Amino acid sequence: MSGPRRGNDSSPASDGESGRGRSGRDDDSGRGGSVGDGDSSAEDGVGAVTSSQPADGPPPKPRSARIRSIAATVGRRLEARALAFGAVVTGLVLLVVFYYPVATVFVDAFFADGRPTVEPIVSVLSSRFYLVDIFGFTAYQALLSTVASVFLGLPGAWILSRFEFPGRKTLRSLTILPFVMPSIMVAIGFVAAFGRNGTLNAVLTGVGLPPVDLLFTLEAIVIAHAFYNAPLVARVTTAAWESVDASAIETARSLGASPTKAFRDVVLPQLLPAIAVGATLTFVFTFASFPIVLALGGFQLATVEVFIYSRIQNLAYAEAAALAVIETVISLGLTYLYLRYEGRKRGSGQGARPQPRKSLWPESRAAKSVGTRIAIVGYALVVLAVFVGPIASMVLTSLTGPQGGLTLDHYLFLLERQQTGASYQVRPLPAITNSLRFGLGTLLVAIPMGVVMAVLTTREFRGRAAIDALAMAPFAVSGIVVGLGLLRGLVFGVDVFGFQLQVTGAVAVVAAHAVGAYPFVTRNVAPLLGNLDPRLVESARSLGASRVRALVDIELPLVAAGVVAGAAFAFAISIGEFDSTVVLAEGSTSYTMPVAVERYLGRRLGPATAMGCVLLAVTSLSFVIIDRFGGRYGESGGF
Amino acid sequence: MKRRTFLQTIGAGGVAGIAGCVGGDGGSADDTTTAASTAGGEETTAGTTTGTAESGTPELVVSTYGAFVDAPSTSPGPWLKEAFESEFDATITYATPDSEINYYIERALQGAEIDADAYVGLNVDMLIRIDERLEDGLFTAVDDVSGQGDVKEGLNFDPQGRIIPYDTSYVSIVYNETMADDGDFVAPETFDGLLDPEYEGDLLTQNPTGSSTGKSFLLHTIDAKGRDGYLDYWEQLQANDVRVLADWATSYNSFLEEERPMVVSYSTDQVFANQEGQDLAKHQIRFLNDQGYAYPEGMSIFEGADEPELARQFLEFMLRPDVQGEIAQRNVAFPATTGAELPEEFAEFAQAPPEAVTFTYDELRDNVSEWTQAWERQFASK
Repeated sequence: MSGPRRGNDSSPASDGESGRGRSGRDDDSGRGGSVGDGDSSAEDGVGAVTSSQPADGPPPKPRSARIRSIAATVGRRLEARALAFGAVVTGLVLLVVFYYPVATVFVDAFFADGRPTVEPIVSVLSSRFYLVDIFGFTAYQALLSTVASVFLGLPGAWILSRFEFPGRKTLRSLTILPFVMPSIMVAIGFVAAFGRNGTLNAVLTGVGLPPVDLLFTLEAIVIAHAFYNAPLVARVTTAAWESVDASAIETARSLGASPTKAFRDVVLPQLLPAIAVGATLTFVFTFASFPIVLALGGFQLATVEVFIYSRIQNLAYAEAAALAVIETVISLGLTYLYLRYEGRKRGSGQGARPQPRKSLWPESRAAKSVGTRIAIVGYALVVLAVFVGPIASMVLTSLTGPQGGLTLDHYLFLLERQQTGASYQVRPLPAITNSLRFGLGTLLVAIPMGVVMAVLTTREFRGRAAIDALAMAPFAVSGIVVGLGLLRGLVFGVDVFGFQLQVTGAVAVVAAHAVGAYPFVTRNVAPLLGNLDPRLVESARSLGASRVRALVDIELPLVAAGVVAGAAFAFAISIGEFDSTVVLAEGSTSYTMPVAVERYLGRRLGPATAMGCVLLAVTSLSFVIIDRFGGRYGESGGF
Repeated sequence: MKRRTFLQTIGAGGVAGIAGCVGGDGGSADDTTTAASTAGGEETTAGTTTGTAESGTPELVVSTYGAFVDAPSTSPGPWLKEAFESEFDATITYATPDSEINYYIERALQGAEIDADAYVGLNVDMLIRIDERLEDGLFTAVDDVSGQGDVKEGLNFDPQGRIIPYDTSYVSIVYNETMADDGDFVAPETFDGLLDPEYEGDLLTQNPTGSSTGKSFLLHTIDAKGRDGYLDYWEQLQANDVRVLADWATSYNSFLEEERPMVVSYSTDQVFANQEGQDLAKHQIRFLNDQGYAYPEGMSIFEGADEPELARQFLEFMLRPDVQGEIAQRNVAFPATTGAELPEEFAEFAQAPPEAVTFTYDELRDNVSEWTQAWERQFASK
């Protein structure tokens, strides 16, 4: 099944020479090396070629023909360099809004008063407290959370990819919701759902079972982490499952394999990389978990991020930096291991015809068929408790008045704040429109960045996994550190050759969101791209297509599912992002919905939860709408 | 100086270009250029878009914490702005950086210009951080502010006289009387009482490094149990299943959800409960050892402020008896001065402790990091 995958390194069609030698000039022309420029030139290039296409038409007039031919030449040149250009722009954006800012914080771990030192790192590594109690526990809870997320996510992927039922697509769209929930909302929802007087205990005592005391335990933290990350596992696995080619399974079956054996030999190998990426990301995310841990567990369950926050709060930068560096190294190391694994797993082919879905309602009364459905019902109950419970509890909180009765007061507060709020106060409507604007802006920036990075890292070269891991660093670095770095690096400005470089407001927010989001695009696209038969691209190129044209015309349509899946995450990351936004939007009107939620926190949680529900409603609506309109691509991949 | 301003302006514009500024709305309004500050000249603040300063009306930039101007319940900010502007020829612009005073400490550390005139909402921890990190500090001495003499004794926390307190809170236990099997929960009266098995799993408090109530409670235990005894005390407290949560909001929410009957909070709790028409039995106050930990908030003028005179007038305004009364009611805290004008019902629901406890600036500067870190290491090692 998996043909030899050597094409890429030996292929003469490799775009290695595409402007690389002249990158110096690229840099000059790209002095405004902006994302916008990069996009437009790439599009110009494509557009110019397209306009020169109708060669079959009537013979063009000489003048316009000359212009066309010039345009075509310019277009071809731009196109030839577009990929390299995209890579340079991606690198620049990463440098400006990620690597440089983070370096301004990390430097304190290695330099004291301008002199190099190993003291901060050594003192952390030689501390039993940090090493065993804090890092050890952090890894332990991340591991438990990962296992829980995988176990909770996989049945969901199975149901979403193998069964047909009304509302399936909407349900799949809504699996993104936990991603955008501010942690304070999750904490509130969990207390209301799993607390002593919570919904779960009301149900348990209602059916005659003893109540459980879940709060302020490791279990509560693990379940909350699963709430965030099981949907991630489910989404990526669903995308992979839907890409499994039915004919491969049929072939296996016709050769005498039992359904179980066919699953193990054909389906499972294609799911494993997706499960692995879901598990890796879950581990990395929960390793850096912070507000949830202290809100649902308490300080005796403190993770390393709690200490990074505390040290930064007290301006103990060397210790904060040392902790953050070690945290990043662990996360990146794990990511690196995953990427090496992903690299080895490539080349299993892309499904042309997905398997038919089964009806959720049993077709027969056979014991197995009925048993499966009972299992599904059991799973649905768990989903109801873990996902629907907290969200519904939060909605209920937003509708509950101080006396306990139902009220719309908190939503009226939002309306009133919108109408009479002063300019220095946070108003709901700008928060909503900003969130949507930034979300769209993030898509426009993150998708090209993610695709370029995916193309580059699916090629075989030494150190590929290392480069790939570095590109994933935005996931691995503490959000608190990134926030402080952005303050130092962008908000205050940097002196570059006498110029005061300073970026804040909308542009900076979009750039920061894109940096946090693009790895999702890369991770969703790269495995699919790696699965493609390299001969496809080679044929296109031998027929005269440029590398970019081959990418746009041949590869991207084939991996559209991955692009759409990545885009969904990118949009959700942008909507939910808090740490960088609050720093970059400071003092401007660029605040977003999560920032508004935080601002409306007070003695009563009504206003904040009302804003949280607005956030959920806007996000749900966006995803359902995009799902309706994007149905063409949404069918496989799922927004 | 002119040349530098020019370069900075170009620089910022250049960045907008590099970052692919789509449309001017994000770029121009929000990108900040550090303009040379001239007295009375227009100044771009940290991107604050209030922008109501008309030429001729001096602009006073007051930096503070978000809840001071934008709390969902009540906050003094809007009233203060209106009242001050109606009396003085000035426009107040509020800046509310998320990292509060650390934002300005960072600015000073990185050599960026400070673009505010006054700061409202300083506490002793912040002052210690400023003095530890910045040789020259951030604030000017404010010894010629009339009304300063009215500040209650014991609230002044800056030995160098840079900061004037404008209100104070007292950190205490808030408990829910109805949360017992017999419907009559009574919080213990002493710190030792909290260790009683009867109160196992009953108390919620907050992370001392992330929350001022949590910090105050920790300091209060140090005051009560001594610097050699507080860790032992906390060991027993932890054994009695005290929970230290992230911050005031999450712990207070759990208290309201009746997860636990006691929470560390403010002694003004009943003011809110009364306004919301709640059962006051669910909002009882307990001053352990008959003490409350004082948490005064102060204000000052930035060194090198553009409008030092106006800032001084603002500070005086904040200390006026009528304004002190308004701040106390709108910030739900106690006034810092002796002569504040307050309605009688305020005293009915805002409870002051028989004895206020606090550490001095010097004691805290020398010890507080050590105390908190020792506590962290003990409490967080499983």
